[in-house]
Amino acid sequence: MNPTRLVSMVCLAAVLAAAGCGTVNTTSTRTEPATDSIATRTQINDLFNQIFLHVRDVRMFPAKSGVLQAQIDVANDGFQTRGFSYLVTWLDASGNTLPGPSSTWKTSRVAAGGSITITSVAPGPEATDFSIQVRRAS
Amino acid sequence: MSIARIIASVVLLPSLVACGSPGKYIETGGTDSIVSVGEVDIQDLQVAASGMLESLIAQGTLKSAPHQPAQLRIERVVNDTSSAFDVGELTYRMREQLVNSGQATVLTAYGADAESPEAQERLRQQAFLEGRTSVDTLEPDFFLTGKITQLKRSAGNTKQTTYTFRLTLTNANTGQEAWTKVVDVTKQGTRNAVGY
Repeated sequence: MNPTRLVSMVCLAAVLAAAGCGTVNTTSTRTEPATDSIATRTQINDLFNQIFLHVRDVRMFPAKSGVLQAQIDVANDGFQTRGFSYLVTWLDASGNTLPGPSSTWKTSRVAAGGSITITSVAPGPEATDFSIQVRRAS
Repeated sequence: MSIARIIASVVLLPSLVACGSPGKYIETGGTDSIVSVGEVDIQDLQVAASGMLESLIAQGTLKSAPHQPAQLRIERVVNDTSSAFDVGELTYRMREQLVNSGQATVLTAYGADAESPEAQERLRQQAFLEGRTSVDTLEPDFFLTGKITQLKRSAGNTKQTTYTFRLTLTNANTGQEAWTKVVDVTKQGTRNAVGY
């Protein structure tokens, strides 16, 4: 092996090792999608955000009180822990925004290779849908 | 003064005047807000109130009250942190949502330290004139109490503060805890910052 090749391989190994620092490995006993998973549509304005930090799964089901509860899995496919802010807005059957406790920006962080579940509870029984805005932390 | 110096002064003066950020309106608690490492910020209170309300609504505790909407008496919520703020910033945000959505009413004319002594006195007079001994319409279903505490740590120049918001609903008829929730807000950094 020539020296140039050796140096390149050492550099590559160093980069890969650095990228792996703090990265999460996940093992799950469930292999099927959740039964409460629902279809979503995403409008992408920040491609970089979408590549690394994206909504992986959305589930919606009634909470104990009967109002809807949403669980949103945000996954980080990047090589470093990423912080983000999110805003959940609940809508009624007509698509009108409902004021509620969720209507405030919140922050969270997700480790590289991992995912985090955001939960949100509808403000009342009239809520049928929701939207979530996710943005990278500044 | 040379021509070049005059031109330089004219060009540089506006830029010097423009230094610093001019005042502007931002969304309250939005992502442009100031983040204070050792203080409770407005967004922290919003997040705490939101977490409390979501839990309360999801559990459906208020629906089990004898009165509908549930009658709530807000008792002491103690601010046991070094950050000076009115706990009403937390409880009023919750009240607004609960009362305006018809899930609860807050008794403001009940107790030794009623929020509205005038209304309390008027109700007492009414009860007296009608031959009643108590203002029986003002029987709370739940008492809301709470505490806000902090845990401060540092490593080198990095400071970390965890603010813990705890609220509890006590069933007025049984005296038992009907609902409780803890919301933690942790902030870390070397100095305050604008935006998050």
